[in-house]
Amino acid sequence: MAVEMAMEPDYMRDPRKHHFSPYMENGGTSIAIAGDDFVMIASDTRLTRGFNILSRNQEKVLRLTPHTMMASSGCWADVLTLSKVLQDRITMYSHEHNESMPTTAVAQMLSTMLYWRRFFPYYVANILAGLDEQGKGVVATGASVAQIQPLLDNQVAALNMKGATPPKMTKDLARQLIHDAFISAAERDINTGDGIIIHTITKEGKTEEMVKLRRD
Amino acid sequence: MATERYSFSLTTFSPSGKLVQIEYALAAVAAGAPAVGIKAKDGVVLATEKKHKSILVEEHSIIKVEVVTDHIGMVYSGMGPDYRLLVRQARRVAQQYYRTYLEPIPTTQLVQRLAAIMQEYTQSGGVRPFGVSLLICGWDTDRPYLFQCDPSGAYFPWKATAMGKNFINGKTFLEKRYNEDLELDDAVHTAILTLKESFEGQMSSDNIEIGICNAKGFRRLTPAEVQDYLANIA
Amino acid sequence: MQSRMVELETRNQDPQGDHGPQERNYILSLHDVLMKKSILNYNGGCVVAMKGKNCVAIACDLRFGVQAQTISTDFKRVFELGPHLYIGLPGLATDTQTVLQRLQFRIKMYEMREGRRLKPHTLMAMMQNLLYERRFGPYFVEPVIAGLDPNTKEPYICALDLIGCACEPADFVVSGTCSESLYGMCETTWQEDMEPEDLFECISQSLVNAFDRDALSGWGAVVHIIEQDKVTTRTLKCRQD
Repeated sequence: MAVEMAMEPDYMRDPRKHHFSPYMENGGTSIAIAGDDFVMIASDTRLTRGFNILSRNQEKVLRLTPHTMMASSGCWADVLTLSKVLQDRITMYSHEHNESMPTTAVAQMLSTMLYWRRFFPYYVANILAGLDEQGKGVVATGASVAQIQPLLDNQVAALNMKGATPPKMTKDLARQLIHDAFISAAERDINTGDGIIIHTITKEGKTEEMVKLRRD
Repeated sequence: MATERYSFSLTTFSPSGKLVQIEYALAAVAAGAPAVGIKAKDGVVLATEKKHKSILVEEHSIIKVEVVTDHIGMVYSGMGPDYRLLVRQARRVAQQYYRTYLEPIPTTQLVQRLAAIMQEYTQSGGVRPFGVSLLICGWDTDRPYLFQCDPSGAYFPWKATAMGKNFINGKTFLEKRYNEDLELDDAVHTAILTLKESFEGQMSSDNIEIGICNAKGFRRLTPAEVQDYLANIA
Repeated sequence: MQSRMVELETRNQDPQGDHGPQERNYILSLHDVLMKKSILNYNGGCVVAMKGKNCVAIACDLRFGVQAQTISTDFKRVFELGPHLYIGLPGLATDTQTVLQRLQFRIKMYEMREGRRLKPHTLMAMMQNLLYERRFGPYFVEPVIAGLDPNTKEPYICALDLIGCACEPADFVVSGTCSESLYGMCETTWQEDMEPEDLFECISQSLVNAFDRDALSGWGAVVHIIEQDKVTTRTLKCRQD
């Protein structure tokens, strides 16, 4: 059966639009706290896509050098690509300089690498933590940052506390704060949960600890 | 319709200042079956006579004491069909209140709103006043309530009262028998005795109806329960 | 317990400069993804309420803005509706005022008609009706109710969305532009059976630290602590940026 299609000529029609959306939000939350002689960096282990949980056991902290780690969350594909390229360049550095790359150098390089993609960015939020020339900053990033950051402001930087000075940051205190912050985030944010892995970097080396979170 | 233009309210003041239609309505009430209500310390009772035109009537499929909400009930003297309309309105008002405020309607509120409806029928065009007086009882904020609501839209809170045929005798009887610390059981007893004052023939669970209201809510007594009370009287 | 809130020092920081939201024409605008565009956020502002032991607290910020621009810093969005009854109306400022007026009308009519005080739970039901009547053209406010029952003195809090869906939790409710931060703060700081002083400290720290991380709310705060025999209202000093 031959049906004659009454079609407008293509120059009469609107231009065809293509939507290009190459990004995806896969959740993930990270916190880092620095003390005088240590740095702690932690991330949750849940990977999501919308309301789906892709993994309950996906660590988001990358081991870059013996004394530098990075927590990344956002678009997981971008995290993987970024970390791969970053690892390559760190390896190249160590070959060329015959020493492992200092944390500050990694930070500078990361910044440059991200800015190279100024107009097609990696959809990744990063925290770099390491032992070199460390400051006292505390940062959270990722899905639950809104729930966590004000708490850290208050408890670590002692903001809005009359007469209180920021507490001396110990490993115990840092660990406790990270734990509390993640419990709150898991309570109210569906993108965060299942568990956290807390890494501690000191001169003596690195340790890690797994803590359980609610899984719903 | 052209006739609508001339459908004035039937209740027009007479030269002497009376609304005779309302008085006729009250006469219809006074000719109706007796109804009694008594407030006790721990509840309220409503009771009414339910005589049938024929012995062939299915007694218990005719109901005069009606539930409005869990904690409010009512009964009437006067014209049955008019009463059914008011029961429906009362239930509607109660539900509407609950939907608005998510709490059971206070008895006073239900009475006020029902009285407002009855008043409307004394002033609107194309309608006549209701031929009934209502006895409304309820339990809220930890105390009993008893109200009478007349065709005019007037309402009265009572400790105890009687309406319908022989209501004057009934009230006189109640004035003698009533006291403030009556228990609900005694009140039921007194209500039956009040009906008995003017009752013609043998009283039975087939020809009287009783409703009680207390902290547990409002309910109509079963014929068997009525029978138990009657047995205590004889 | 010594309060850390009331006499806070003013921080004289350089104004951050006027960096309003900028339109970007990327393939993907991060700004649009991250910024929840809604009329609810047009003026900014937030409210939080908490239950304590025989007391409740309700608090709000004071900023009134038009998107990123701050217009005034004494815009209260918590209102007294009775001796132990307060409501917070964060959202679009014009609707804050309209809803308040319509609500006050309904409450006065109720109290005259019934000759008794409004219960917090009844206010919630009223609010549900008022908001759902505009189901398809809503008022852009998400109210928070806090109070004590006039008869039982039972603490009561609840939050509603803009079309009147109510939520009556046992601990705290939050609403407004920094609700996520408020959730994070309240979730860690709130404890059961707090005394009025502890409740004040808890709600104040939660509110202030939460809105310090939100550009659309802040610039001062008002806290009401509602107890059986008194209501204490305090104005907090906060950073002004």
